[in-house]
Amino acid sequence: MKIRTVPLRAVIAGCLSTSLLAGCAQQSDDTIVVGLSADITTFEPGMISSRDNANIARHIFGSLFTLGPDGEHIPELAHTLEISDDGTGYTYTLNEGLTCHDGEPLTAEDVAYAFNRIADPANRFTGNSPGFVYTSIGFRNAEALDDLRVRVNIAERNPIAFGLITELYVHCKDAYEQMSLDEAAANPVGSGAYRLASWTRGSEVVLEKVREPANFERIVWRIIPEASTRTAELIAGNVDIIANVVPEQVEAINGSGRAEVQIVSGTRRMYVGFNLSEENASLPGGDAIQDPAVRRALQYAVDVPTICRQLLSVECQRATGLVNLENANQSLTPYPYDPGEAERLLDEAGWPRGEDGTRFSIRMQAGQGRYVNDTNVVLAIVQYLEDVGLDIDLELMEWASVYTPLLRERSAGPLFFLGTGGGLWSPIYDMTDIARVGSGTNYTHWSDPRWFDRWSDMVNADDPDDQRRIIDEMLEVFYTDGPWLHLYFQPDFYGVSNRIAWTARRDEHVEIFEASLR
Amino acid sequence: MGAYIVRRLLQSVIVVIGVTLVSFLALQAGGDPTYLFVSERASAEEIEATRRALGFDRPLHEQYLSFVADLTRGDFGQSLSYRQPAMEIVLEALPATIELTIFSMILALLLAIPLGVLAAINRGTAWDGSITTMSMLGQSIPSFWMGIMMILFFGLYIRLFPISGHVAFLSPLLAGDIGTAFSNLPRTLYHLVLPGIAVGTYSLARNTRLVRSSLLEVLEQDYVRTARSKGLPELRVLVHHALRNAWLPVVTIVGLEFGFLLGGVVVVETVFSYPGIGRLLFAAINQRDIPLVQAGVILLASIFILLNLVVDLVYVRLDPRVKLTGGRG
Repeated sequence: MKIRTVPLRAVIAGCLSTSLLAGCAQQSDDTIVVGLSADITTFEPGMISSRDNANIARHIFGSLFTLGPDGEHIPELAHTLEISDDGTGYTYTLNEGLTCHDGEPLTAEDVAYAFNRIADPANRFTGNSPGFVYTSIGFRNAEALDDLRVRVNIAERNPIAFGLITELYVHCKDAYEQMSLDEAAANPVGSGAYRLASWTRGSEVVLEKVREPANFERIVWRIIPEASTRTAELIAGNVDIIANVVPEQVEAINGSGRAEVQIVSGTRRMYVGFNLSEENASLPGGDAIQDPAVRRALQYAVDVPTICRQLLSVECQRATGLVNLENANQSLTPYPYDPGEAERLLDEAGWPRGEDGTRFSIRMQAGQGRYVNDTNVVLAIVQYLEDVGLDIDLELMEWASVYTPLLRERSAGPLFFLGTGGGLWSPIYDMTDIARVGSGTNYTHWSDPRWFDRWSDMVNADDPDDQRRIIDEMLEVFYTDGPWLHLYFQPDFYGVSNRIAWTARRDEHVEIFEASLR
Repeated sequence: MGAYIVRRLLQSVIVVIGVTLVSFLALQAGGDPTYLFVSERASAEEIEATRRALGFDRPLHEQYLSFVADLTRGDFGQSLSYRQPAMEIVLEALPATIELTIFSMILALLLAIPLGVLAAINRGTAWDGSITTMSMLGQSIPSFWMGIMMILFFGLYIRLFPISGHVAFLSPLLAGDIGTAFSNLPRTLYHLVLPGIAVGTYSLARNTRLVRSSLLEVLEQDYVRTARSKGLPELRVLVHHALRNAWLPVVTIVGLEFGFLLGGVVVVETVFSYPGIGRLLFAAINQRDIPLVQAGVILLASIFILLNLVVDLVYVRLDPRVKLTGGRG
């Protein structure tokens, strides 16, 4: 009898509250709601790889230092860093009185355990930390020197190691030693300003405040895959911040009076790659692009500003190479749109138009649905290249399962469209895509000795001015004879409710520490 | 009947194994999934190590046989992206989709039967024409477009229903938390209205036409004429004589449709940010999370087979002419 009574009462109470729901669009002042486009798959620090997943994890797990919006170094769990003379030992001193979310003290032993756990091959982690950070810095191990000092050992001097170590998530030894890998994936015990309160897979993640600098008592991350639904939720006042607004909906949001779109020039570098591998050289057009003069000619063929205005609804920040403009060679300017010059240079390079008006045929490959309006951008680029006499065989592909494997095998092309994430904190970080001819991210197989022979000098230069000079020289080579057709830095679109004061960052990080009520 | 059911269940095992084989091969046809699980900066050695760790270095037949062997022990494997038992994740998403499917089917049936009957008994009139036209329209409108339009109108402009999301009813109920389940129920239904209509419109339109045509056919039969000539009231003729036989094709379609909807509501689930099994499997396919896809496919195939069996059994109850022999022919 009692069992029946309780649900009935609950139903009545629920019905009463439901009738009020439609009008209750306002969020509570201590809660901020963020709408994400991609689902969250794990809270295992060693497995986190997507940007959305990392944005949530960033609030749960602290890091030793962090990077600010403009790439500045900000102490977090640690207050000082000493780098050994040979550049292979990074000793961090932790703040006193740190605690884990389970209440245990957070010591250097926890940090060393967390970093070594991520590297442990027995755990078979494949996330950003083991797969990218550790690979890039040549991580050896981490050791606790005492309660407050932890030393991270890397293989050799590396000027971007500091920035990459900021991406490692500090988690807590006692808790993780007691959990299986299955349990750890859903029950993070971190050191950050928020802890996980609930996770409804495919629906939402709720975080609760643990300590400063958390501004809100709760952050609700809602998974809203469809762009128009995210926009509707923002305008309705149910969500405070949404990422990946599509350009067509900017006007609707700005005109709503409830929210505004912030457009920032992101750090992601968009380009058309020239794959110069031997395999590609034997394909139609693959031989033509081996010649730097042809590649240079094509830089003039694409009207990037028009593409940005018409298809992305913004004036893009144009690229002069693979480094974000703040750290780029300041003497270089973006190639202008000059199809006449492109045709002249192609003639000079020995690729005149044939009787049918075609200079050469070439295949171009691109994934779909990954970048802002990518399919239309690719179609426009193809049209511009055809206008100067190329015959493009375009292959548009499903991103994850078809295009990604091609990229990872470095066999996309001969022309391929891509955007790769960059940073504002170091030019070398951006250049690391092409650190070696055989780098996994050198999708172009470019091997110009004027670039690769300077790499070691650049990395090991003690004098910052010397290092800057070498960087500029290398970037000039990349600009004139490089393997990228330079396009733009991808603009990122965020919708922000009028009740929130928050400024979007350029590096795709969504940090709620920086948000407050207006 | 018992022997028939046992025989059908045994046949089902073969079907499920066939389904797993086809889905396994389809996922492998897209190339080596290892690349989706390594960083873009991974070296060749790291890629190879990951390939070994994930088991993709073994020959295809070995991978499949090992999967089937694990299956016989009830082990569906670990999801590659979630790093948790694959079947656990699928079962977590299933209740939301069942809620949506049942809601939309009830909605569709409650309206389809009266509309179909109304059209049939008023054949050739404006009623019939209007209902038939609306049915054709309902079958023609893409569910995602309808979903977006409903979000804009009912969610954003008149703010009558929530734009997206889900409040669980079945999950807490199945977990034994009856209080939470029933306190959630009003909000569950409230969140189901728009996606339920988006999913159910196609079924409503098709079932309306089916009820109409089926009833029209039955109304022409001799026994209906006989019933009328005995002087029975038209309502009694309709309900007791005509509708009972008109049910047969409707039951078949509705039973199978439930199975289709379980796996096929992915677009609507995406539009309404509804955390169901369709969206989960779609993401898993994109990620080439083979264990998760296999677990989902096996579960959906099993439900579909079970529904087929139930439809057959219901058929026997509705039509005494049908016998369950289970043999050839």
